Amino acid sequence: MEPKNVMIIGGGIAGMTAAQELAEAGLSVDLVEKSGFLGGHAIQYTCKATSECLQCGACSVEKMLKDVVENDKINVHLSTEIASIEKNNGYSIKLNKSAAFIDAAKCTNCGICYDKMKENDVIMQGFSKNNVPLYAVNREKIDENKIALKDICPEGAISVSDKASSEDLTSDAVVVATGFTPFDPNRKSVYGYDKFPNVISGMDLERIKRQNGFLARPSDGAAAQKIAFIQCVGSRDENLGNLWCSQVCCPYALRTAESLKHKNPDLDITVFYMDIQNTGKSFPVFYETCKNDIRFIRSIPVDIFPIENDNLNMRLFDEAEGTPAMEAFDMVVLSIGIMPNLENEKLAAQLNIALDSDGFFKNSDELNKTSTSNDGMFIAGTVQGPKNIAASMAQAGQAASGVLKYLGVTK
Amino acid sequence: MNTAQQNVIEKIDMATDIVVIGSGYIGLKAASQISEIGYNVILAPQHNDMGINCSIMDVLSTEIDRLKALETEVANNTNVEILPISTLVEATGTPGDFTLKFKSADSVVEKKAGAVIIATETAVNPLNRIYGLNPAANVVSLSEFENLLAAEETKKELQTNGKTVAFLVGFAHEGSPLLMKRVLNSVSEVVSMDGCSAYVYVNNIKVAEDGLERLYMQCRDTGAIYFKLEKAPTVTQENDSLTISFHDPVIRNDIELNPDIIVVEESLVADEANHSLAEILRIDEGPMGFLQKENVHRLPVNSNREGIFVVGSSRDVQNYSKSCTDIDNMVLRVKQLIGDGTKSIAAKAIVDREKCTICLTCYRCCPHGAITWDDKAIISSIACQGCGICASECPMEAIQLVDFTDAEMADRIKEAAAVEVADAPKILAFCCQNSAYEAGMAAKAFNYELPAGLQLIKVPCAGKIDIQYILNALVEGADGVLILACHHGNCKSESGNTYAKWRINDAYQKLAQVGIKKDRLEFATLASNMASDFARIIIDMEKRISQKKD
Repeated sequence: MEPKNVMIIGGGIAGMTAAQELAEAGLSVDLVEKSGFLGGHAIQYTCKATSECLQCGACSVEKMLKDVVENDKINVHLSTEIASIEKNNGYSIKLNKSAAFIDAAKCTNCGICYDKMKENDVIMQGFSKNNVPLYAVNREKIDENKIALKDICPEGAISVSDKASSEDLTSDAVVVATGFTPFDPNRKSVYGYDKFPNVISGMDLERIKRQNGFLARPSDGAAAQKIAFIQCVGSRDENLGNLWCSQVCCPYALRTAESLKHKNPDLDITVFYMDIQNTGKSFPVFYETCKNDIRFIRSIPVDIFPIENDNLNMRLFDEAEGTPAMEAFDMVVLSIGIMPNLENEKLAAQLNIALDSDGFFKNSDELNKTSTSNDGMFIAGTVQGPKNIAASMAQAGQAASGVLKYLGVTK
Repeated sequence: MNTAQQNVIEKIDMATDIVVIGSGYIGLKAASQISEIGYNVILAPQHNDMGINCSIMDVLSTEIDRLKALETEVANNTNVEILPISTLVEATGTPGDFTLKFKSADSVVEKKAGAVIIATETAVNPLNRIYGLNPAANVVSLSEFENLLAAEETKKELQTNGKTVAFLVGFAHEGSPLLMKRVLNSVSEVVSMDGCSAYVYVNNIKVAEDGLERLYMQCRDTGAIYFKLEKAPTVTQENDSLTISFHDPVIRNDIELNPDIIVVEESLVADEANHSLAEILRIDEGPMGFLQKENVHRLPVNSNREGIFVVGSSRDVQNYSKSCTDIDNMVLRVKQLIGDGTKSIAAKAIVDREKCTICLTCYRCCPHGAITWDDKAIISSIACQGCGICASECPMEAIQLVDFTDAEMADRIKEAAAVEVADAPKILAFCCQNSAYEAGMAAKAFNYELPAGLQLIKVPCAGKIDIQYILNALVEGADGVLILACHHGNCKSESGNTYAKWRINDAYQKLAQVGIKKDRLEFATLASNMASDFARIIIDMEKRISQKKD
């Protein structure tokens, strides 16, 4: 009997986990990823350990990526999107593959192209050494840089004349794991994200921490000393119509704050919040530690404006005094939340799966959130709703389990 | 030193009976799904999980019938043997071949099992005492209130006498989304009853779950009043009269309310059987009496021992749908482990039976419960995770890892120390393959600046770094030795990093005796994605040693 084939849409932590589980169960897997790299958002996150692990799960993503690229039952399609999908016996799928420009077989990951082209953003670097290849060409910048790129690679791995192509494949089941879109902080214009260099998002914070090992201010590269975290940016916001908690922002803000404090105990960190959400089963103990290290203010700041030296003044309501107050910080982190993927509507129409009222993919059975109205299709991870790395992985396992049951493989 | 034999493939028969401990809904569901994939189930009900415990469920009433049908389904399933209510009193063996003894009211039964699933329930703990309140007709726990709402008659009574209902939430403990959902469901019912109003005194509203923020807002929009406070309001209970007062920080006024009923939050606590189950099955207990340590390598359903899995509320306060996610993941693991009943597996560690004096050091230090014995120690190839802690701890040097023998490690150290780079101090970094080695390879891939004299030595776990390796490295000419382990709480073998640290402390003492400076040996912890920290740690060490040399 031919081994069953499953297509997984989305190469983030949920998609990779589903792929790995199904491959381990003996199935062959096509893992389709729109961008040039596997790993999704989660591969960008940094370790948040203090003197001990705080269970952020970022290292689990690293491990899963390694397992997936080493698994020969998983066929990875990078820079690829679904052109069409049709249900017959199984599914007939047409894939659109963008030109790759870099030949993975020839690329030695030396990084010469990246270093030489650093200024014009035409070569992108993966976040993990396990990304194969480690570099990708930015499709939007290729045309203006064709000449510069032509002979840049000593191995001849870059071919600027590479063309887009399409591929047909069939699969017996589909797992949708296309993840989320981070909230665009510009939609909360009162915080001046696009105007003030030292107002950054939680995603920016990960990038800065990864690059520098500390929290460097974008304005001058100096280490931030007095930092504010504003929670619920984009989440739990009636005015925006976002009636959900993103579930990950309190944990990431508290863990990051603790890990920064661990490296530099002199940091002055304040968290502005509505309600602090739990991190895990040792939360009561962890929260006590946080309360000793971090100042918590139960108030969401009104707005931010700049003062000298690119510092930031924040207007807020002082509960203790019962009056409006003003306080200066040298860096503000907006804890942006998890929004439905901007492409959910398009994809849902393609796949014939319903979305829920918030715009996430809707599960058909309340007791199994990987289920959809379309029998052979399963959903996993943040495409279904906000969740952390561990929950995305667990849900991907559940989707894999559902696929095996659907295909009659587990019996 | 001996050399381990080449990869010996062992063929092992795996028992295809699976024991499920706990027969609440999660236990029943686990039993049903395991039997669905073709294995027999032995279901061992615990003291507190007989019968329907809807009060701590968070599922819609429309789903309750479906859950109840599970009881009938499992009872009629010929592949499921249901034991009387029993306590696990003894467990021996290894994955594929566990022997469990259960004691019930009138008998002791012994069962063989390929794998063990723990599916205990949570228990409800009242918290009225923390608020200084005594249970009364008008001071009820959340569960009691839910029961009042559930029956037509008492609900009607509520509507007549309980016009104003106050809820106290989040001051006696942090709580969870699951408890919050139950509170909000009750609040929602109260505000929908004619003439009734709901006041919710709450600290952190735990809304980190699908649909909860919406439910919270819906309750508010339909009339529920929330007071978000950082500490509990003052509550007085005199005869039949109740008063709640607090200082409102927003309007800066004292506010007083005389509710007809106060509903006091409760907590969901770990099953009291967990502790003894952990002890008998030799698995790690986590925080708050739940099973499974907070170690990301265990997620979602693994314990520290292969073949013993923890699902649902045995490992954390979890709602029904998340518990079902656990069960699906557990089914994958069981299927992968047991397969069709035979398993071919290569040994990762081998005992030299000539050298073994059966001191049982290995049995005590193995974090995975992989060691049994006849007249000598035996390592279960299935249970063994290849960390090598036992090999390093064995006082007789009777254990060798197949992929990391002492002889090979000695060669590797010699070879690494022999590499000469002009003007660069020799730094040997022993790196755990799960974390630091990955970080080191990443630092290279991303072209971080690294000392020219750096050599990485891969170990399966920091727990496999013998004190002898450290001393050898220095004797062979290393200027600096680094031991790079996983962060505390992130060791795949739970305690490998702790063993490494102990050995380094020993090494410091030995080095001091021969006059070698402490700063030539360093211990640090890393994660696999910490390439820049890896580079920084090594460069710092190079700087220190170079200064000393100058």
